[in-house]
Amino acid sequence: MEKKKAKLSLEKKHNLTGWAFLLPASILIFVFCFYPMSQAILLSFRKTGGAFNGAANYARIFKDKTFQQCLFNTFFYFVIQVPIMLVLALMLAQLLNNPKIKGKGIFRTLIFLPCATSLVSYSMIFKSLFAPDGVVNRVLMAIGLSSVDWFQSTWPARWVIVIALIWRWTGYNMVFYLAGLQNIDYSVYEASYIDGATPFQQFMKITIPLLKPTILMTAIMSTSGTLQLFDESMNLTAGGPGKSTMTLAHYIYNISFVETPKFNYAAALSVCILVMVAVLSAIQMKVGDKRD
Amino acid sequence: MKKKVLSVLLVAAMAMSMLTGCGSKPAGNDAQSVASSEASKETEAAAETPASAEDETLTVWCWDPNFNVYAMKQAEKAYQVDHPNFKLDIQEKVYSDIETALITAAEAGDYSTLPDIFLMQDYSFHKNATNYPGIFTALDDCGIDFSQFSMGKLADSTVDGTHYGIPFDNGATIMAIRSDMVEAAGLKVEDFKDTTWSEFMELSKKVMAANDVPMLTCSGGSEIVIEMLQSAGASPMVDGEVTLVDNAALKKAIETYKQLIDEGIMADYTDWDQYIASMNKGTAAGVIQGCWIMSSIQAAEDQAGKWAIVNMPKLDDVEGATNYANCGGASWAVSSNCKNTDLAFDFLNATFGADVDLYDDLLVNAGAIASYLPAAQSETYNEGNEFYGGQAVYKDIVEFAGRVPGIDYGAYYSDIRSALTDAITNVVQKNADIDTEIKNAQDTVEFNIAE
Repeated sequence: MEKKKAKLSLEKKHNLTGWAFLLPASILIFVFCFYPMSQAILLSFRKTGGAFNGAANYARIFKDKTFQQCLFNTFFYFVIQVPIMLVLALMLAQLLNNPKIKGKGIFRTLIFLPCATSLVSYSMIFKSLFAPDGVVNRVLMAIGLSSVDWFQSTWPARWVIVIALIWRWTGYNMVFYLAGLQNIDYSVYEASYIDGATPFQQFMKITIPLLKPTILMTAIMSTSGTLQLFDESMNLTAGGPGKSTMTLAHYIYNISFVETPKFNYAAALSVCILVMVAVLSAIQMKVGDKRD
Repeated sequence: MKKKVLSVLLVAAMAMSMLTGCGSKPAGNDAQSVASSEASKETEAAAETPASAEDETLTVWCWDPNFNVYAMKQAEKAYQVDHPNFKLDIQEKVYSDIETALITAAEAGDYSTLPDIFLMQDYSFHKNATNYPGIFTALDDCGIDFSQFSMGKLADSTVDGTHYGIPFDNGATIMAIRSDMVEAAGLKVEDFKDTTWSEFMELSKKVMAANDVPMLTCSGGSEIVIEMLQSAGASPMVDGEVTLVDNAALKKAIETYKQLIDEGIMADYTDWDQYIASMNKGTAAGVIQGCWIMSSIQAAEDQAGKWAIVNMPKLDDVEGATNYANCGGASWAVSSNCKNTDLAFDFLNATFGADVDLYDDLLVNAGAIASYLPAAQSETYNEGNEFYGGQAVYKDIVEFAGRVPGIDYGAYYSDIRSALTDAITNVVQKNADIDTEIKNAQDTVEFNIAE
């Protein structure tokens, strides 16, 4: 035993300690994330009952009209909501980063608070806000506009989801931007001020480029989050009217637990979302990260 | 050495925190994992108490504290008279959570998370019994006399001749109307009995003019179309084929629904609470719904004596159309995880399979109308109800229930309902062509149910 021990060099010993620390987390991530993922991929190539089915489940996706509808809805949220939310978050972060502003702590907390509320309870609140005799309609009527049947018609219902998403996630992204802004040295701004840069130029030429890694990260997180959107579709509109607000994740849930169960097809759809998130993130990284 | 011990402890602590972290993260994500984690707690609890001969505890899943949970509590009390050691562990769970937990268990092939007895909505009974027969214990030999239950209702929980469920509540469709509003329009409640939809709409216009409220309230409009479809006995599935196209009753039902919405006769609320509020606040003169809606109507005590129950209107010019339909209702099932099936069978047989007094209690206190036929002959059913101006409503409803035409959805109720909802939404919202939309719905259902 003594001899064997002596063989381990100091470096090897340190490496082993490192691995020992990594092991528990790695095993757990593997067992609870990667193993189920690989099983889901296998599942997507099988039929109900377990027989191998080739790519038939994937071929089915292209013929599925409900899938196309849900894909459209999801991309609508993605294309409209993500840019609005990120720009808003950036503006709020910029405002709250101003050292002269009073009560910063309170504002930051208030703006971050929505994303600490439960998904279900905030859906319930939005439901009552946008109800036929809810606050929003009353305000609309008070300022002389006609009330809107928010949940009964296609486009208003989609906008309710977009508004709800913006309300909930803007503060979350703002926190990342705030952290990023704090890391930008104030002397850079001072130098540009002396050179005669306007605040707008400062924002466009200093803040945005230096925040790029953070912006990229929030964009990728929002992409993945939006494509997997479930709670709002499920709780706020129940996918309705018809299926005009149903997201892909909600459709997958329906295939598995509401309609005639087709877990294999649901797995194929999940893999499809995974590929879409990967592709979109890759594009964003290519476009956003010019370091290489 | 000390350092090593310390590092091992640290690693262990990290692993523990990781474990708890993993446990709590998915719990926030969706209802399914909440259900399954609750389910696993139950199995832990069950594992602690060994299933000895003295252990007479059964676990039950059901969802409504004023209705089926109450029913189980009363059944427990009734059974305890002869079996003092008997105990029920009634766990209140939202129905979608129950179904998710059942399907998850079945897909995983691990039934140990299931309770002994659970309540299942009739509309999904066929789907689950066809796809996952493994969650159920067949009840053919449990000693219950199934001939004592109403036939239409029994069919919901019978698959290929095997009984998987004991029918619980009746969901006969009623039209509850405000008698005071009807009278304010110079009409009588009698006028609304045995009407057709076109006659009903004419009468409604008078009521609406006199009271300035919509005649009907509804939540998620497709339900009323489903009820109309059933009232004409027009099955969306015939011999395993989807028959939405060329279904005259369906087309007429959608047209009627569109007219109801377009002319403002029916107000549609997406939110269930607002739907209930529209009755309780008096912002609608009536409602068409399964008879279980009565407990919600009766919640408005200030409206006592102002309601009456009649049958629903029937479709005009449709062969086989009637004034009767069914909406909702559920059945008790024994899970395959039930260890003490003798006890479960005996309990169910002695209570929901025989106890007329229990059904009387449920009728009065929970508004649960039995599908156990001998219960309907009890005196309680013939008594007038003051809330409905002395009308013997339960007797009427049992009579309605007996006349509901049979309808077949195969195992595909949810698929068909979902496709029809889309079609109806497009017709009402976008003025889409009814025939095209029905064709689309047919295609969607055929696509969904194809392997």
